[in-house]
Amino acid sequence: MSNLVPLIQNECLKIMKRKRFYVVLLVLLVLVPMFTYAQMKAAERSQEKFNSDWRLELQQRITDNENSLSSDRVPDEWKRYRQIFIQQMQYYLEHDVNPNHPNGVTFTREFLNNAISLFIPLLIMAIASDIVSGERTSGTIKMLLTRPVKRWKVLLSKLVALLMFVSLIVLSTFIIAYLISGLAFGYKGFDIPVFTGFRIVGSEVDMTGVHAVPQWMYLLMQGGLVWFVGICVAMLAFMVSVLVRSTAASIVIMMAALIAGNILTNMASAWSSAKYLFMVNLNLTDYLAGNLPPIEGMSLNFSLAVLAVWAVCAVIVSFSVFTRRDILN
Amino acid sequence: MRTSSWIWRITACASALATIVLVIGFIYAWNDINYPQGEPLAAGSDSGSESPSAPGAVPGNGSGADQEEQAGKDEDTTTAQPLPDHLNVTAIGDSLAKGTGDNTGSGFVRRSIDQLNGDGRSAKLLANLAINGMTTEALLPKLDDKGIRYALQRANVIMLSIGGNDLFQNSGLLSEETDPDALEIDPVKLMALLPEASERLQSILQKLRAINPDARIIYVGLYHPFADLKELQIPGNIVVSTWNHSVMEIVNQDPNMTLVPTFDLFQHKLDAYLSSDHFHPNGAGYQAIADRIVQGLK
Repeated sequence: MSNLVPLIQNECLKIMKRKRFYVVLLVLLVLVPMFTYAQMKAAERSQEKFNSDWRLELQQRITDNENSLSSDRVPDEWKRYRQIFIQQMQYYLEHDVNPNHPNGVTFTREFLNNAISLFIPLLIMAIASDIVSGERTSGTIKMLLTRPVKRWKVLLSKLVALLMFVSLIVLSTFIIAYLISGLAFGYKGFDIPVFTGFRIVGSEVDMTGVHAVPQWMYLLMQGGLVWFVGICVAMLAFMVSVLVRSTAASIVIMMAALIAGNILTNMASAWSSAKYLFMVNLNLTDYLAGNLPPIEGMSLNFSLAVLAVWAVCAVIVSFSVFTRRDILN
Repeated sequence: MRTSSWIWRITACASALATIVLVIGFIYAWNDINYPQGEPLAAGSDSGSESPSAPGAVPGNGSGADQEEQAGKDEDTTTAQPLPDHLNVTAIGDSLAKGTGDNTGSGFVRRSIDQLNGDGRSAKLLANLAINGMTTEALLPKLDDKGIRYALQRANVIMLSIGGNDLFQNSGLLSEETDPDALEIDPVKLMALLPEASERLQSILQKLRAINPDARIIYVGLYHPFADLKELQIPGNIVVSTWNHSVMEIVNQDPNMTLVPTFDLFQHKLDAYLSSDHFHPNGAGYQAIADRIVQGLK
């Protein structure tokens, strides 16, 4: 155990020295202003139309959604989604709470909702995908393994370092999104109540469990869920990185899986066994917001279990492969 | 080497802290989703600082004029009140108010607003709450929705179109419109539907008036979309004009309500004014309705 900490330290320094983490921060610093700007434009437009009266805007959205319910061209899954959306928005109206109050905190919340399934995993892959395969591409893996340390310890130190950076990436995403969007929308908004606890039963929303939490609390809970997704994606990417020799291939494999998951979720698929795939279970924050899960029968605990099983399997595979395989170049 | 150890220490501490915070968040989230604690919410939480105004207050522009208007109303309810300078329009009702059939999607609501703005009046659409297929029966409970009440309260002109679906959809005419021979209109049955529907319309108008005591309420009368079918012409005309007449009687009770007739507009111009579904007006038809509305508002 005693020689594990220096190994972890070594791995952390390697990640820092290779500037992977800085790349992640840079990506955030470039992209978040773009999203902020887009959001600002949208806010400006709705202000023109509705004179910044959110109640009118919300009511108009409810009516528009109600109108689309009567159209035959709208698939049934979407109709269910919209019915649920309507009921939730009406709940907000009844209680006089603006669900989209424009401020930095709300932007962060919305941004994280959208980022959890693709953007954050992508950032994590920037570090995870090359953590083992990168050393094999450059040949430094041999130097590492000639030291008098057990192989599993080497791998474990890499995994621990990776998980440390997952936490850092998730936290810095929150901080950067808040700081940058705050410039445009203002930094207030931590106390605004957000409703959570919507339970979906069929196409009805069960309101008995609904309660308001202050937005900072919501962000905290969101952070926890994003973190869990991040850990699982990191472990999977870690496995791929162990199995595949080149970093590029390892990134492509993970990307393909994630994008496939996004497409599958959007199809609101009738293929119900797809719910056992990890990539359709990434939208954990949807359970917090009370959105309709992509496939019937999914719940928070189900998704957590699926993700955990995949992650644990990934770790087992990576360790058993790494400790047995010959490292030849 | 020194910087390395500093980088390590900072990273380790930061990530340990971050992990602790995120794990706490995760536990909270898990708890909250699995065991949501419903609480009776105090209506109107703190963010709704500018809570919707009481029904009596006319919000928005030209407050001086509005007050005079209100004062005038208290003294004398027999005359229609002058319209304020800025018209804030909320539309509610069925597909006609929504503009179904209009290629531009404008409908008479947007067309009349555009025309008012072109004529030098200032008019704005607050919200169009119309829903396709709306009937008097479905509209009545909707008027209790807070968001809808709010949009109606903010308006000083309310455009309402309702009743067409009560008459024509219940009679089954719409579903079989492609085969006119199979149509059998039963004037007796249709007439039997009328009293109920017009009673509901009366409650709708009363409710609208209770929600917004000062707005000009414009009801768009019905036309007869099947007047070009021989067997439907006379019985349909009778039903539609009976409906329009009973609406007129309700509307006449309130000096600030108007019925805009469309029956005569469409009677001999169905070819020119109906869209391809042979039920909703097309752009020209909506424009004709809008012209009438604007004439009454100028």
